[in-house]
Amino acid sequence: MDKLGVITSFLFNIVVWNIPLLYGTVGEILVEKSGSLNLGVEGIMAVGAIFGYICGCFANSLSVGIAVAFLTAALCGLLFAFLTVTLHANQNITGLTLTTFGLGVYFFVGNSIKAVNKWPVMGDYSSITKGFAPAHIPGLSDIPVIGKVLFRHNLFIYLGIAIAILVWWYLKHTTPGLRLRAIGENPGSADSVGINVNRMKYIHICIGCGIMGIGGYYMALNMSGSFNSTCWINGYGWISVALVIFANWSPVLAILGTFLFGFFNTLRVSGSSLAAAFPEALGWLAKIPTQVYQALPFFITAIVLIVTSVGSKRGKSGLPASLGLNYFREER
Amino acid sequence: MGFHIVKRDHCPFWQRCLFYLAAVVGALLLGAILLLAIDVNPLDYYFKMFTMGTVGNRIAHKTFMNYLNQFVPLALTSVALSLAFKMRFWNIGGEGQFIVGAVTAATVAFKLGPHAPTWLTLIVMCLDAMLVAGIFGLIPALLKVKFGTNETLMTLMMNYLALYFLFFLGETKASWNFFLQEGSDRPVFEKFSDFVAFPTFPLGEKFQLNLTVILTLILGILVFLYLKYTKHGYEISVVGDSIGTAGYAGMNVKWIILRTVFLSAALIGLAAAFKVGTSGVLSTAVTNDVGWTGIIVAWLAHLNPVMIFIVSALICVLQHGSVQANADFSRVDSSFANMLQGLILFAVLAADFFTRFRIVRNAKGDKNHG
Repeated sequence: MDKLGVITSFLFNIVVWNIPLLYGTVGEILVEKSGSLNLGVEGIMAVGAIFGYICGCFANSLSVGIAVAFLTAALCGLLFAFLTVTLHANQNITGLTLTTFGLGVYFFVGNSIKAVNKWPVMGDYSSITKGFAPAHIPGLSDIPVIGKVLFRHNLFIYLGIAIAILVWWYLKHTTPGLRLRAIGENPGSADSVGINVNRMKYIHICIGCGIMGIGGYYMALNMSGSFNSTCWINGYGWISVALVIFANWSPVLAILGTFLFGFFNTLRVSGSSLAAAFPEALGWLAKIPTQVYQALPFFITAIVLIVTSVGSKRGKSGLPASLGLNYFREER
Repeated sequence: MGFHIVKRDHCPFWQRCLFYLAAVVGALLLGAILLLAIDVNPLDYYFKMFTMGTVGNRIAHKTFMNYLNQFVPLALTSVALSLAFKMRFWNIGGEGQFIVGAVTAATVAFKLGPHAPTWLTLIVMCLDAMLVAGIFGLIPALLKVKFGTNETLMTLMMNYLALYFLFFLGETKASWNFFLQEGSDRPVFEKFSDFVAFPTFPLGEKFQLNLTVILTLILGILVFLYLKYTKHGYEISVVGDSIGTAGYAGMNVKWIILRTVFLSAALIGLAAAFKVGTSGVLSTAVTNDVGWTGIIVAWLAHLNPVMIFIVSALICVLQHGSVQANADFSRVDSSFANMLQGLILFAVLAADFFTRFRIVRNAKGDKNHG
């Protein structure tokens, strides 16, 4: 492959492989801004992925797939909300269980369908493959390098970025968004000015989880629906939890963070082809163990976490003050 | 007409048992429906699962020994985590601390094992694993008391640092890497079971009781006594109830947190030493997810050491039983155990609510919406 081609496909892959992180992160930001720490992202994305993929294929419709992925993931969110908001269950425990449970559901459903030879092969469903195919924007897509990197993607890429910007605008510039942030900071005060804390939490936990589910569905499609012993989500949910911190709870920064974490993620896979194309400048890339790239997102996040907590007295951290704490009105 | 929620002062023991029993039965029923949906007889399956396939099995003693080997790391990790949780220090880092402990123990086994008597190697393995895992756990605790860094998120990140370090050791062939087999082309972890293994005691004709089982039971009792009857235990519960109160009472809160988290992580390191000292080999799946499952177990057991032993025994039955049952029911793999575990915990969390709160119907004309 020519050198320009290697760089182009490297940049292209950063976007294509890592956009689910954005869905997971934006969804989790919405949940955490309501004061709930949901550690079930991995499981919720898995549930959305498996049901979205199977229903989407059987209906031969991408929009059905997206809708089912959103709804099933939102149902997981409803379960989380019911247990933590209404029943005051511990959020860490509920979230972790949701991960175990979600992955269990993922494999149980997938294996059961495989066992009766009903597993849908993505290539057989024309409108799924067509809907997932990269868009071609006349003019823009034909620009060399940039055209391929920015303007020749499937619709999920643009949808993800649109959702991120929309959520950012919602949190920052609308009244419900402001109320949500107030709940995340101090639910007692929010309640005292007449905000329905529980209803707001339910709504945003469900929508946030639904967004994660679409990210899961994307991963299923991006792997062409090949189901084996490794889950489609494969740790992306956990990276999303980390990315929320890295993005300082801002959906717009999350876009940036997705591409930064994606950069390392893509280096892990394509590092050797970059090294081969530029032996002198980038030859050293081939020598770095892949585990370093895998650990980097978590390492960077840990550093960010420490740095922001050291500087948190200046009030720059986006960490919701009541994150992880349940709100019980009569203890106010 | 509406309802609102009121805290219970007290929930009788029999009533609590009833709530939890109903929760478990409800979860099992849901599981049965799912089994029916894929054409598996739930009664047959549950029988096989809960007896772990030991009925009518000639090597039942082997099954039970393997079961205990699975039980030891989980029970000890859960007990260790409960120490930190009692203080409301959310140590989600059990996985990482376990891995660090396991790698340390394996290092000692490789380096000291061939030159020293087994008993000495085992003791050094345990102590070193405790020390290194304890220090690894101390990092987020130090950050917490110094800067207020969120320990849930910090320990979560550190899990992955430890995990990928383990992957690195397991996947990198190099002359320095004594963890891997020398002869093999593909990276495979080297065994050290030939020269280091915890001793076992024969019980009956075939059954061998591993020393680690006895040690784990003793440690469980010690932790129970520590929490209940020592000054340290009292301080932990006060810090857990209210850091402010502990401060006014003149307790050195920071020191208590550091001390307890170190102890918690060190015990997890010990669990890891038990694990590798029994299996005689490192593996990338060495934790068997005990760091995660242990959190769930500790919480299910309400952080009570006695209950932790019972709950981990039951969870291990689910996990080990589902593997055994898979031999007869090839369509139901271990994912079903995970799902069932999730369902049971959801149901128990719901039952918890009813032991702590009551739902009261609002009086007529009352405008108070719960």
